[in-house]
Amino acid sequence: MDERLEKALEFSNYALTINNQKRNIRNRVAQLQIVHHLGGVFVANHETISFIKTLIDLKHKSSVVIDSKNNPITVKSLKDLLEKLVDAYTSATTEFDIENEKLKKARNIKKIMDW
Amino acid sequence: MKEQRGVCFFAYNNDQLDYVELAIIAAKYVKKHLKLPVCLITNEGSESWLEESKPKKLINESFDYIVITNDEMKQNRRRHFDSPWTSFTAQFNNSNKHKIYEYSPFEQTLLLDIDYIVKTDTLLKYFDSEHPVCMFDNALTVRNELPAERERALYDAGIKMWWSTVIYFDRSDFSKLFFDTWAHIADNYAFYQYLYNFPSKLFRTDYCVSIAVHMLGGMQDNQTHIGNFDNSSLVNMSQKDDIIETHGLDEWILIAHDQKEDWKNILVNSDNQDIHIMNKRALARVVPDLLEYFNEGT
Repeated sequence: MDERLEKALEFSNYALTINNQKRNIRNRVAQLQIVHHLGGVFVANHETISFIKTLIDLKHKSSVVIDSKNNPITVKSLKDLLEKLVDAYTSATTEFDIENEKLKKARNIKKIMDW
Repeated sequence: MKEQRGVCFFAYNNDQLDYVELAIIAAKYVKKHLKLPVCLITNEGSESWLEESKPKKLINESFDYIVITNDEMKQNRRRHFDSPWTSFTAQFNNSNKHKIYEYSPFEQTLLLDIDYIVKTDTLLKYFDSEHPVCMFDNALTVRNELPAERERALYDAGIKMWWSTVIYFDRSDFSKLFFDTWAHIADNYAFYQYLYNFPSKLFRTDYCVSIAVHMLGGMQDNQTHIGNFDNSSLVNMSQKDDIIETHGLDEWILIAHDQKEDWKNILVNSDNQDIHIMNKRALARVVPDLLEYFNEGT
């Protein structure tokens, strides 16, 4: 086989493998960002965290908040929800960072597989 | 008084696959990541083989409850693959799966297939879910691709497919209604096959639950009574994929085939990911390694 083609195919296979691993990590992070609170389902992302913090800054202690399934949830303590959201966000992003760093250093399939 | 929370597995051996051995592995993963009691539901023959083939200590460590059933199983021959190049057929005993509501010793139950390996604690949060029943309604391959058409809908213009691989349920009236509906569909399978136009002679509980969800949702696709694990995907390692190597208990290297061109594979590092190992022979091949890791506590 032409060496140029061999190298191109090798890189193509590497790209396919690393992209798949990246998708695995993103799926895992998305799961870690889900927070169940008082029967509601919230996603610990920038938008939710900022919104809950805004309500707290405006001196609200409790509020009805629409969850990610479009259901109204009476949140008795916005502070408790904010803590849960920030915890979930932090553990998700920490895991994301660790796994992402590992992948960034992996220059071949063997390294991606941790062999 | 039933124990509050726990996990159940059905395992009926056939002449090709040692389901109870695979159930031991699945149970040990549940103990590691979910830290919940485990119940094995099996028949006399499989239980005798379990006691003959495995040390008592291992059985006791794996299962807190063993329920023996003597349900008559439907003749149900299933073709299995072990890589794209090898296949075999075996009797698939699944026609009493809806009876889990009766057999489970728990108030809140997570029913898992023995080839579903829990490598995270994600499922724990659904014990606090507002849904009385939860199942996956979408799946991905280990290449993060959608599964074959027939595993997304019951036929081309058919209803959405729900997976019976992982079922969470409580003891509510709605849960009872769900399992009764499933039983009715199982009893009248040929009629529902005609009505919903799904293929194959194989009795699939996935089809039964899909139809039950559709019926209980007012024959609409947008029902809200049954949870779908927050829209997350069931990750399926296909029967044509394989486990190449295990690096300890949680990090596995898989080889994943291309659905259109079987011979084109990529490697996948599966770590921190709950996974449905549909190639049961591949799982059976790594059982000795996994048991050793469990013994070492790695």
